Amino acid sequence: MIEINDLNFGYSKQKLLFKNLSMQLHAGHIYGLLGKNGAGKSSLLKNLAGLVYAEKGKISVMGHDPAKRQPSLLKQVCFIPEEFYLPSVKIDAYVKANAAFYPNFDHKYFSDLLTEFDVPVGQKLINMSYGQKKKLIIAFGLATQAKLIIMDEPTNGLDIPSKAQFRKIMAAALTDDRCIIISTHQVRDLDNLIDTVIMLDESSVALKASIEEITHRLCFKKIKEMNDTVIYAEPSLSGYNAVMPNYHDEDSKLDIELLFNAMLTEKTKLKTVFN
Amino acid sequence: MEFGKIFLITLGVAFGVIATFYTLNFWPVFVYDSLSYVSIGFREPLFVIFGFLFITVVASNYFAHLGQKPKTIIELLLPASTFEKFLASVVFTAILSVLGYILIFYLTDLVFMTKLRDIPTGVNSGRYYTQTVDGKELSIDRYVYLFDAMKNNMFLPFYIAPLFVTSIFLLGSIYFEKFHYIKTAIAVMLFSGIAGYIVGKVAEFLMSNRRPIGMNGFMFGRGTNTLELFLMFLVLMLTVIFWAITYVRLKEKEV
Repeated sequence: MIEINDLNFGYSKQKLLFKNLSMQLHAGHIYGLLGKNGAGKSSLLKNLAGLVYAEKGKISVMGHDPAKRQPSLLKQVCFIPEEFYLPSVKIDAYVKANAAFYPNFDHKYFSDLLTEFDVPVGQKLINMSYGQKKKLIIAFGLATQAKLIIMDEPTNGLDIPSKAQFRKIMAAALTDDRCIIISTHQVRDLDNLIDTVIMLDESSVALKASIEEITHRLCFKKIKEMNDTVIYAEPSLSGYNAVMPNYHDEDSKLDIELLFNAMLTEKTKLKTVFN
Repeated sequence: MEFGKIFLITLGVAFGVIATFYTLNFWPVFVYDSLSYVSIGFREPLFVIFGFLFITVVASNYFAHLGQKPKTIIELLLPASTFEKFLASVVFTAILSVLGYILIFYLTDLVFMTKLRDIPTGVNSGRYYTQTVDGKELSIDRYVYLFDAMKNNMFLPFYIAPLFVTSIFLLGSIYFEKFHYIKTAIAVMLFSGIAGYIVGKVAEFLMSNRRPIGMNGFMFGRGTNTLELFLMFLVLMLTVIFWAITYVRLKEKEV
């Protein structure tokens, strides 16, 4: 669905954010895009949506060049930005004005999502809380039936029950012809939701692997004492939470936060495991 | 979506301002049913000056939201081509705003002037004056509707001036990030000042030590004068150039 080849991008020519970045993303997956502040998560998403222009390289989204901003592609892209703006109108007026641009817009699904998210229908958008607004644009975006859903920090501003609802709704929204990319620094919010992890670090993709592959190659477990096999560990109440090579094919649950920290501090060791 | 709302509000405010001007100048008509002290000389300057302000404010607002990241994302991701978005901006700023302004001015003038013209007039009311045309003495009505008075002898480039003016302020609305109106106005003043100076100097250089020839009818030739036509095409060409730059800026816009 998405092909990125040798992408060079930066906000100034002297300091590139991505150097020769290449990646392929496929339909039927929920990708979790992780990285430190300033690693380029939002910039990568903007490149995919055609909101910025690359210095060099090629991006293909469903066969289109996103930089051309062709309506046929824009109809199939739902972008939920971190900072957003909603006009001072009621939901009905907002839907009436915007849904017409999306031929597959599902009004019933939209209404169901609003109910599930507990968003008040009769209120003006400007009077809603940040979290309610966010839930509204997520519901609208999903109801467009877009094939590519890009979300930049979607759980920011959502309360705890809403985060659980968000995970449930996103998991249900995934279909074989849909690709969902979620960027966040709140990695715990993506627990049990994403099926592939993409980590950005130092102008390139530090890790791109499915949860299955990660847990096949790495083992996440609590240990009482450190040993030589440990790649990375964090102290806990009863010892250490550790990441180590999965030599014995053990079943373990992926700890995204631990993996993320391991990637930042022990990049070379982790790369050896994955190569 | 919001621009349409702002446009209608601005149109309402414009109607209020025009109606206020008419009321202030026509009050003897309403209070005393009299033509004494009624002044209609304000209409042409009001139409031109306030019209200029109205259409430039509307044009200057059209792309102003692109200075804010969240609004730019919505605009750029709206499933319509860049050309369609540009075309919508031209329709709103150069056509709807101008027609809207003319319509409210026409209606206001129609209402007030009809009331004025309905007042019975005596011989010495001052409503009619005589003018000799082709040797015949004609009685001319002083209190005609504004657009009837303006339709004759109009300098041709005047008709496309609104397109030209709106094209400049539309470009300013996408070119500048903040304070679009002020910055565009200053840029226009600077450019027109420099252009005026250069044209003046060139004209002085070309015309010095030469005898002027007759220029009768230059301003009122209604298209029959070559220079008038040339000016009209020049203004039209500049308008198209400003629109083209606006389109390119919109296409190049990033978040």
